[in-house]
Amino acid sequence: MQETDINLLVGGPQGGGIDSAANMISMAFSLAGYNIYGIREFHSNIKGRHSYIHFRIMHERPKSLKYPVDIMVALDPDTLFEHMFDVAQGSKVVYDSAFNTFNLKNARMITSDTMTRIQDELAERNLTFDVKGVLDYFKSAGIDVIAIPFDKLINENVHDGPANRYYNTLGAGTTLALLGLDEDHADDGIKFAFKKKPKVIESNIKVIKAAYDYVKTSPIKVATLPTYPATPRMLLTGNDATALGKLMGGLRFQTYYPITPASDESTLLESHEEMKFLKNADDVVKKAGLVVVQCEDELSAINMANGAALTGTRSATATSGPGFSLMAEGIGYAGMTEIPVVITFYQRGGPSTGLPTRNGQADLLFALNTGHGEFPKMVISSGDMEECIYDGMKSLNYAQRYQMPVIHLIDKTLANTMDLVPEIDVKKVKIVKYNENTNHENFKRYSLDTENGISPYGVFGKDIFWMTGDEHDELGHVTEDSAMRDKMMEKRMQKLVTADKEIPLEDKAVLYGDENADITYVTWGSQKSLLLDTISELKKQGISANLLYLRMFEPFPSEYVAKVLKNSHLIIDVESNMTGQAAKVIRMNTGVNIENFILKYNGRHITLDEVLRSTKNIMEKKTALEVLQEGS
Amino acid sequence: MQKGVENKGKYNFRNNITIDWCPGCGDFGIVSAVTQALSNMNMDPDDVVAVSGIGCSGKTPHYLNIAGVHTLHGRAIPYAVGVKLSNPNLNVLVMGGDGDLLSIGAGHFVGEGRRNSGVKVILYNNSVYGLTKGQAAPTLPLGEKVKSLARPNIMGKINPITLAMASGYSFVARAFSSEIKQLSSIIERAIKHEGSAVIEVLQPCPTYNDVNTLDWYRQRVYKLEDDKSWDPVVNKKEEDEEKFDTGYRKSLEWGDHIPIGIFYENNTIPSYTNRLAGIVPDYLKYPPALQDVSDKDGYTIVDPIKTFEEKDIE
Repeated sequence: MQETDINLLVGGPQGGGIDSAANMISMAFSLAGYNIYGIREFHSNIKGRHSYIHFRIMHERPKSLKYPVDIMVALDPDTLFEHMFDVAQGSKVVYDSAFNTFNLKNARMITSDTMTRIQDELAERNLTFDVKGVLDYFKSAGIDVIAIPFDKLINENVHDGPANRYYNTLGAGTTLALLGLDEDHADDGIKFAFKKKPKVIESNIKVIKAAYDYVKTSPIKVATLPTYPATPRMLLTGNDATALGKLMGGLRFQTYYPITPASDESTLLESHEEMKFLKNADDVVKKAGLVVVQCEDELSAINMANGAALTGTRSATATSGPGFSLMAEGIGYAGMTEIPVVITFYQRGGPSTGLPTRNGQADLLFALNTGHGEFPKMVISSGDMEECIYDGMKSLNYAQRYQMPVIHLIDKTLANTMDLVPEIDVKKVKIVKYNENTNHENFKRYSLDTENGISPYGVFGKDIFWMTGDEHDELGHVTEDSAMRDKMMEKRMQKLVTADKEIPLEDKAVLYGDENADITYVTWGSQKSLLLDTISELKKQGISANLLYLRMFEPFPSEYVAKVLKNSHLIIDVESNMTGQAAKVIRMNTGVNIENFILKYNGRHITLDEVLRSTKNIMEKKTALEVLQEGS
Repeated sequence: MQKGVENKGKYNFRNNITIDWCPGCGDFGIVSAVTQALSNMNMDPDDVVAVSGIGCSGKTPHYLNIAGVHTLHGRAIPYAVGVKLSNPNLNVLVMGGDGDLLSIGAGHFVGEGRRNSGVKVILYNNSVYGLTKGQAAPTLPLGEKVKSLARPNIMGKINPITLAMASGYSFVARAFSSEIKQLSSIIERAIKHEGSAVIEVLQPCPTYNDVNTLDWYRQRVYKLEDDKSWDPVVNKKEEDEEKFDTGYRKSLEWGDHIPIGIFYENNTIPSYTNRLAGIVPDYLKYPPALQDVSDKDGYTIVDPIKTFEEKDIE
């Protein structure tokens, strides 16, 4: 039997319940023993503009997304226009029959650039500029179009509030029915999705029933989908996973200034300030609480986190590009004064405010070069949920151990990815404490009496010492002495050498797949799982490929990366930026020059089919640069 | 024994670092007042942290025998708040110039009024940027020409007292660097006050400000407390409107007569640390700085499944 592999797109207006629809579908499928992988796309807008979730559902855990999708649910007419070409022959499109009379010129929430593009595409195919035009296209392309009378079905079954409150449930219900998932699982999905609002469960279940009845009595043929026993998992986004990792790693002080896509992490932490979820509640509950501060700006956020770290508290902040720009001075200060602080950096499309809600991986070089002068900082990157969790813990550990700012890079795609994560190993990462000072009398915070560059750490409340962003002596007082300057510079930078020695290779770079392969992909961040799927897909097609996946950029595993790449045949760098920044870092550190690129900078996630197609182009047509453009 | 008692009068809060301020600088008076206040209060040096920004005032922590942080230009307040909120047992003093706190750090100055975290801001006001050679600071009046300015000041001035009151600080005072006794008693009162405090200290810059000289101030300052009816303290909410209004109007007085003393003290506004104590159980007893983050074997004490209970699926 062929493995179930459903690609699904649910689109609708921002604020129109897309998240709830996504939750209902995810819950229903997970209860039926499936795995979900989904990515959320949305405009920088509160209500009305087009947003969607792109899902993949498999029994095995999916790691990437595919276009075209097998089923698309349109909760607004915009979805039909925006995703016209994201559905293929044999797939299904579900929409509200009320859209039938909708004309493109009334689509006020489609931006003018997109409108022009859609009109050109319709005109090219001699189609009318309305929903009928799109439906004609679907029919000609062999796509099943299923019009549901949304208002009628809802009004016949529930009577509390306006019908549009239930559009998302009806859309989700119809989808589940059409995919052949049994109704009980759909109901369970509703119960889970709304378990905090028990009052609405009943009405929503009625709407689900209406959806199932409608599909059952229609001429549409639906096969029953197999179900499996469900295992315990957590439905997490990258924001959730990182927050969880930081909590597990002992975070007790988090600062932030609201910014997309970083804020969700801090908001989640804020809702957990009482920390009611400890392992041995009786022993430690009195002693555990987290402080989350929404600051007046990012300058405040980084410096407040720096200040908190000096009392011995594990402290962090989270931001994205524009906020990180403002934090540069505070990060430099932490570098100079050797403060353990974590900056979780959610990259999005730049420059400036760029694409506030879209993906980007163009801040790697910026993170590496943050701040003026030369100082040790660590730059690590996560690529999937488990890494977000464990790296969240490790980033705090590294900061404590090496007394330096640790920049933890995540991208918007990963931040907004929904994934079902199996049980977390709480013993995988041990909590590392700072190198405690024992001499409280004449404490030299910046003692030069150290080979690895790590001086004893002082804590306000126990130790008296001084700090300054100026060059300083062992006590922390300002100095401009030329010899002391050299010694202090060397002591600080030595910490990077120590970190490089101590941190295991698998935390820096990993080679996935056969050592000797025809193709070696190089990537970092959220493309990790996508490329893992790519190499197994290529294997099925008889092509051998492996993946050099980068996790740590400072200190950089130069020797290992050079060794792997010198043995590679065709190297392809895959990144979500325009200039191949990781490839530049590789060249800078190893001298290896990567010549083939698959790059995407339109702000959308890369899909499996895009990489496969581009790889073929590079192999067969010898195109060195493939720029990906899919996504609405 | 009560903490600090053994040090009574013995602990020297001044260390042996050479002070490199200009002779006649008002900063000396501030250092004296701070050390006097700490000494009078029998403060345990471990319990006090001094946080400064950049410039002449920024050097202050290095001269004090308490933990000190000389931070970035304008950032002393957020830094100090980080120290205070992660360990509310510490007394945190912010020491910054008027340029530092009211120009580059103005947003933080206002933000801290809203927070009322409990840090005590000592604002060194000499109306010039001393260490960068005498440019106009935000407290220099429009049209004033001090020594190094090429032309009279083209910008208007900020009144630190009105700004502090408008921002929500619950303790607002002004002192003069030569009136060390009054300044030290204000610092003591500010430290005892639960919320955040701003103490503006008028001071001469003998090198760059040839208008607001020591004599200029001496001829003009007068003490608010000399008027026996002066009572700036709000102990009941219903007193606030009138006392805020009186203090605010008094703060506008400038020129031939310049009031120094406490303009406004409101004990009815809960501090940020007390607000946190309402959210985080045992926050005051076990603040972030004093918590265990791992179990006895060194592993996390957080149960991941419990954390996301509302999201977990079985």
